[in-house]
Amino acid sequence: MVTSKRSAFGRDSGLQARMVLTMFLLGLLYVALVGALLATSTSALLIVIIAVGLFGVQIVGSDKIALATLGAHEVSAADEPELHSIIERLCIQADLPKPRIAVIEARMPNACALGRSQKAATICATRGLLSLGLEPAELEGVLAHEITHVINRDVMVMTIASFFATIAALIIRFAFFFGAFGGGGRDEGAEAIEVVILVSVVVYAISFVLLRALSRYREFAADRGSAILTGRPSALASALIKISGTIERIPRNDLRTAEGMSAFFIIPARAKNSLMNVFADHPPLEKRLAALSRLEAQLQGTGR
Amino acid sequence: MGLRDILTGRSSVKQPASRERLFALSTAYVTLETSYQITSAGVAGIVVQSLATSDFQSVLKDTEDVVKATAGEYKATVETTDDEFGFRWVIVRNPSVEDLVATINAVSTSIEEGGYGERLLCAVFAFKAADNSTLNFIYNYKRGSWYPFVPAPGDKQRSTERELQLKAQIGSELPIEPELERWFPLWGVPF
Repeated sequence: MVTSKRSAFGRDSGLQARMVLTMFLLGLLYVALVGALLATSTSALLIVIIAVGLFGVQIVGSDKIALATLGAHEVSAADEPELHSIIERLCIQADLPKPRIAVIEARMPNACALGRSQKAATICATRGLLSLGLEPAELEGVLAHEITHVINRDVMVMTIASFFATIAALIIRFAFFFGAFGGGGRDEGAEAIEVVILVSVVVYAISFVLLRALSRYREFAADRGSAILTGRPSALASALIKISGTIERIPRNDLRTAEGMSAFFIIPARAKNSLMNVFADHPPLEKRLAALSRLEAQLQGTGR
Repeated sequence: MGLRDILTGRSSVKQPASRERLFALSTAYVTLETSYQITSAGVAGIVVQSLATSDFQSVLKDTEDVVKATAGEYKATVETTDDEFGFRWVIVRNPSVEDLVATINAVSTSIEEGGYGERLLCAVFAFKAADNSTLNFIYNYKRGSWYPFVPAPGDKQRSTERELQLKAQIGSELPIEPELERWFPLWGVPF
């Protein structure tokens, strides 16, 4: 059996370790939440049932809801031959079934991947991306980034990872709805509810930061996957520079609806949101470019 | 891809499947020719993802040299071309399907031995039907499976009906890709 001489190309155990650690911390946090819910045995069970229902809807229908919100429409090979041809070749290389391909009629150049599984995936590109005049290799790099999200099942991973954060958020909302803070009667039940709310607030706050960190790691992994899949890290780097340069110049008037789904785009829909890096769902551009240039050096045999 | 790879988001590119299935075309062709009057167009091409590194380019150059040297044995001609998506095509011409398969295998083996097996995409074999229309059989290196690809008149049109007929006709002899969503078309085949 011939082994690839590039088998070491693209390995990053540091990134994988950080990702596992983040997931471990999230899990730990959620154990605390469940523990608090069980210990107080309030009507929290109802909340969990609602949350499980929401989770089901999210898993099954999130792609359709997202596609409708973004105004994406599916395109055929005759409509967008280049897009189809590039994705088809990437699918052969990635050993994936062909996803649905959709276009969002927006001037903002961007792309995203939706769908819970490899079989139910949709790759979206905006009109702005297609008319940006990217070289085929650059467009291929962007699409390979999205294909890697599909391979890594990032929609599923992020949905599951944020499941308990959703429960915590629901509990906080329900608490205000039922006016748990109000009233003078301080019996044991009210105290138990307060404990649950307190735990929920803490869980929500910490998981928010952890989820953003996880999202950034998944972005790095998708950049890396794109580079490995195409063998052209510098083409993706060049595309990222062109896309982010254009996003900053275009007034943010058409993809505003997409802000809630920013995590699934190749470049965040909010161009200038880097108040603090810990709250960002995407890593800063410079870090992504630096990671890609390390990969190019590895590929050329000049790097570590 | 295991759960661990999903959780850590670790990517790798799949290596080619066992190459015996490529040779299935040689025997299947006998049936194609005698039962269905489908004849070889005498040309086949292999699609390789071209890397812009000196190591890869020298492996590719060595491959071409080796194949060109052995091509004389089979009375084959070998040429290379790059398509608009940056993929390298190695095109082989030879009237005998058996020799075409052997030469294509020599190309892929040489690239694999050079350490770039994961950059092999597929091989396309062109045929002519009784009515002189073109049809192709495509071999997917990742999966080690075949599928028919029949372009139809019009822009980027394919005759799925004809492809399904071909699957029924030759499916017992050629390992056909079971999932239809993996029957990827290849437009702009440079031969």
